[in-house]
Amino acid sequence: MLTAEQNAELTRVGPGTPMGELLRRYWYPVAFTRQLDQFPVRRVRLLGEDWALYRTSDGGYGVVEEHCPHRRASLAYGVVEADGIRCGYHGWLFGRDGTCLDQPAEMDKTSFKDRVRARAGRAEELGGMVWVYVGPEPAPLPPRYDVYVMDGVRDFGHALLPCNWLQIMENAVDPHHVEWLHGRYFEFLGNRLGFEAPKSFQRRHIKVAFDEFEHGIIKRRLLEGHTEADDDWAIGHPLVFPYCMRVGGAGIDQMQIRVPVDDTTTWFVLYTVHAPEGARFEPQEAIPDYELPWRDEQGNHIVDYVEGQDIMAWVTQGPITDRTVEHLGKSDVGIAMLRKQFKQQLAAVAAGRDPIAVVRDPAANHRIDLPCEKNKFGAGADFALQWMNLGFTRYSPQLKDLLRLHTDAAEARAAAVGADV
Amino acid sequence: MSDVPAALPAGPSWFAGDAERHLLDAPKHCPHCGGRLAGQAGLVVEYWVADDRVFYCWCQACDWTGTVIQVERHVGHEAAG
Repeated sequence: MLTAEQNAELTRVGPGTPMGELLRRYWYPVAFTRQLDQFPVRRVRLLGEDWALYRTSDGGYGVVEEHCPHRRASLAYGVVEADGIRCGYHGWLFGRDGTCLDQPAEMDKTSFKDRVRARAGRAEELGGMVWVYVGPEPAPLPPRYDVYVMDGVRDFGHALLPCNWLQIMENAVDPHHVEWLHGRYFEFLGNRLGFEAPKSFQRRHIKVAFDEFEHGIIKRRLLEGHTEADDDWAIGHPLVFPYCMRVGGAGIDQMQIRVPVDDTTTWFVLYTVHAPEGARFEPQEAIPDYELPWRDEQGNHIVDYVEGQDIMAWVTQGPITDRTVEHLGKSDVGIAMLRKQFKQQLAAVAAGRDPIAVVRDPAANHRIDLPCEKNKFGAGADFALQWMNLGFTRYSPQLKDLLRLHTDAAEARAAAVGADV
Repeated sequence: MSDVPAALPAGPSWFAGDAERHLLDAPKHCPHCGGRLAGQAGLVVEYWVADDRVFYCWCQACDWTGTVIQVERHVGHEAAG
């Protein structure tokens, strides 16, 4: 339980708010590279502000405040040129740093353009997505977390959700929900609707633990029948501050990305890489991205797959969870710890320091490996097939290829073991 | 400035009583350095363990983190059978 004041402090992300100032210290993915390849300019919304994101002919990216400083028309309907974006309304041209380079209807030799500047951020491509930074300079580096740079077959599912990003992040430090939402509830649905829910999600939690580290919080669970030597406890997986969760297992590596679009909207992206041991794959010509259905025609949540269940839990908490009427228990200590971590980083920013997980050292950013269990829930290779068939991947246009990738890899591993004997 | 807000949550609500008790009972000062916890200076998250009301506290002034448990009744352990 929190006060209304503290709930507001932790959830408001717009410009000028404490949390908005903290969150502006990080890079965010706002589009798929494929989208800018198909059309070089689009409107994006981030942290309660609207931006025009564009790709120039030389492959560089730029991002400027959506509304032109001239007469406020949208630059998302602008003309992309080699050195920036030109407003479609009267042709004012802005460079990537926001400098006004041209005002074609004004007199030559006027200094007017020197007095006009568009607010600009930074934009770069990484791992098939376009990332932007709209905070103060000097800008940090886009963090090259392992999932974004590793080899494998990429697959991007996503959904725009009508809720605050923090309630989604709190789910990332809530291990017990797996045994209930994806365990007992899934089993209940399966019994009613005639499918078999994945058994590995139903294991009882004996204990959970949370450890703060330089990129967020590592979450651990000891499941019934397991020991502390098992991956779920010995390694765990992290919440990656302030808007991601690294998860995976059985040859699937994933970053769950929760981009705070505004106070009550979150772009949820399942950035997934399939690279099971023994698999053979070619470089992808195009990475499939696809929208996850999460409501049916009657407006009810679609809950017969893992992430649809999560989305139900996040969205039905309301646009911004009212934490003045929640009732936390001992099993929710991870949530309290996350709120503390946010408060600590709010204080760091207020004191003029970098918050955690801001990366500035290029040498440390070649590839940032994050801890993540391999033998998820002790289910072995079966976990991959269960997760794909009963998770969001069932909507992937490359589902059959991915299933084959994992089964072929399993056969290759078995053959290798046989050859060794 | 009072630590008790002038406006407590409006009822009728099943939860209003707990929210009101939270506002009234949450620790206002750090047990370690005495710095303010109320408002934006620190954090107090309340959770429950059986009959205990547990206040998870973080102090911005000294970075102390700990729990404060409000005691309604002292109960000792049961002797081993």
